[in-house]
Amino acid sequence: MPSQPPLPPLLAPYVSTLPDASLTLVSSILGATSNWLVLRFLHAALSSQSASTFGADDLQNGIKKKVVLVSFMRSYEFWKTEAKRLGLDLTRLAEKHQFAFIDGMSELFYAQSPAPTSSPGMGSSPRTTLPMRGPPGAVPGRAPQPTAPVGTMGNPAAKQEPGIAKKLHFSGRGLASLDAMEKDIALVIEQQKTQMEEGDELVLIIDQPDLLLATTGPSMGIGATEMSEWITGLQQLAHATIVTLATDTPLIHNASGLGGQLATPIETEHAAFAIGLAHRARSVMQLRTLETGAAKDVSGVLRISRGGGLGTGEDNLEEREALYFIQRDGGVTVFGRGES
Amino acid sequence: MSFRKRNIGLSPGVDRNAVPNTAQPAPEGTPGIRPSPDDGRPTTSTGTRSLDNLLAGHAGLPMGKLLFIEENGTTDFAGALLRYYAAEGVIQDQKIHVVGVPEQWGRTLPGLIGSAESLDEKRSDRRKDDRMKIAWRYERLGEFGAVAGSRDAPSTPGEQDSTAKEAPAFCHAFDLTKRLTHPSITNMSFIPLMPSKESPFAAILKRLQTAITSSPANTIHRIVVPSLLNPTMYPPGSCQPENVLQFLHALKALMSAHATRVTAMITFPLSLFPRSSGLVRWIELLSDGVIELCPFPHSADATATSGAATSQEEPPQGMLKTHRLPVLHERGGGSYQNVGQDWAFILSRRRFEIKPFSLPPAEGDTEAQDTAAAGGMPKKSDLEF
Repeated sequence: MPSQPPLPPLLAPYVSTLPDASLTLVSSILGATSNWLVLRFLHAALSSQSASTFGADDLQNGIKKKVVLVSFMRSYEFWKTEAKRLGLDLTRLAEKHQFAFIDGMSELFYAQSPAPTSSPGMGSSPRTTLPMRGPPGAVPGRAPQPTAPVGTMGNPAAKQEPGIAKKLHFSGRGLASLDAMEKDIALVIEQQKTQMEEGDELVLIIDQPDLLLATTGPSMGIGATEMSEWITGLQQLAHATIVTLATDTPLIHNASGLGGQLATPIETEHAAFAIGLAHRARSVMQLRTLETGAAKDVSGVLRISRGGGLGTGEDNLEEREALYFIQRDGGVTVFGRGES
Repeated sequence: MSFRKRNIGLSPGVDRNAVPNTAQPAPEGTPGIRPSPDDGRPTTSTGTRSLDNLLAGHAGLPMGKLLFIEENGTTDFAGALLRYYAAEGVIQDQKIHVVGVPEQWGRTLPGLIGSAESLDEKRSDRRKDDRMKIAWRYERLGEFGAVAGSRDAPSTPGEQDSTAKEAPAFCHAFDLTKRLTHPSITNMSFIPLMPSKESPFAAILKRLQTAITSSPANTIHRIVVPSLLNPTMYPPGSCQPENVLQFLHALKALMSAHATRVTAMITFPLSLFPRSSGLVRWIELLSDGVIELCPFPHSADATATSGAATSQEEPPQGMLKTHRLPVLHERGGGSYQNVGQDWAFILSRRRFEIKPFSLPPAEGDTEAQDTAAAGGMPKKSDLEF
């Protein structure tokens, strides 16, 4: 099979055209995760600068885009390696102030004691047959580290791993804790904006904020309303916002109480949050597995539909349903049913 | 005076010295760690060979990943998997952290028989007679590739042989009726559940964190959590979403911060917490791999159990479903040939085997077949065209 373009043509209009103040909702389930789609959004926004002669950026009209990615479920390491497969060097983009990563995972609930990052020798390099000679060029990034005293405690204020702009902390309860996090994110966005020129656009991607809702819940003073307001607050700071959510059946349909069992707060709040966002979103991109069971050449179904917040008239969004397939090398094909 | 025994030839002696020297500086020189045949990331064994082969072509559990094993009913097949996992860690000199159970649990680890390869060879010897031979030189490859589904499997048989000789075994076989005796079994640490006003998990997390961060960088850790949220072990407040989900999220963060030297396995009773509840779904979403065991209802009449392909084979004891596989689903899913297949598992004294599930030809239904052949189908002459 010939190598696929990083951005499947069928998908390109949906991930690169993001009107001002729009909200795009990406929903995923257990067997059909949304990480690949988030990466496509990243690619659509960031690749035009790194490869300006590439053909796919006709849509951008020379507008520069910046991305702030807030991730609650994945580490920076994951995004970095996966983006590299698409030809995006996130660390370099971060240095150029085109990309900022906000880590909502590693220290969200329990601050970790600063520790030396795990030994660089393991894992990073695949089977090397010549042990005497290290792989060229793999280590320079780490080179300054050994000069610092390894394993010393008490430098939490020091600049963390390169590329991570901020680590979010959840402390206290209720609105105050959400406000603190909003402030942290706003700070990073402001930093990015200082580097912006007229006409530049800032895209905010919030990956799985529903985790925040699930891990706190009404008993800690955070419910669907607070979360939606939190998203609204952040949405105002950015040109366009993309939010990913989990929409597994138990999280959405249990809340209606039709199954005869009482819905737990985690279910009702999640359903309210997800449905509320879908009503506000310009478009909803829904990822799910095939109803007919797994297939060898289909990873899942992507359904793009208009959200409740789509403006009438001037803005047009074509609804469609397509299949997608993720290859071993990370490449994605998106195709209609019956095509290949 | 020679330092070498006279009756031993020169060359083997040199050879034996040379082997560890060349093997050690390799990046994955740590025992029990090997690069995945799929993408080269380091993996470690779960202690169950067929489970290793199920994990999306990596032929092992990738480092930094959390495997979540759910079980329906009152049986403890998941517990057996967990014991294999812990025992494998003990053999490989890894540091084991067991959460929530007393130290007796560590004494019930299954005894070591040998490496999984040696057991497989024995079994295949037995089977050899009744199997048709096509090309014997591809036999080893076939067995590896058939289940692991990997394209980049070690290429030549010669290479595989040499690695098998030099490298220490990746996966071992254990006997459930014996008890494990190994010098490093005392190296296991047991983290009890302390009743506290705050989340009961906070103390656990603290201990895991200090243990992992304070250990030398080449220590490999395994986190073992038997029967998470089981009310006989966990205090009532622990199944509050804010407690258990925060714990799992922080565990995930801890593991990704030390992604090359920690793995974890958690078992979970589904009968107490059904999969249709939002809480369980969130636990699943936070895990890297989700596997569900559905044991068949026990029947005294062994032959009545369906599922055995032939009468010689042991009947499967249950179905196994893979809901999520490490790395594969994180990247989007699909493209793995074994996804979506029905699996059956058999637990015997010496092995936990996972194999494709197939319904047998209906046994004992011969009279129905006879009548169908005789009168049920219309004869050709009866059909009018």
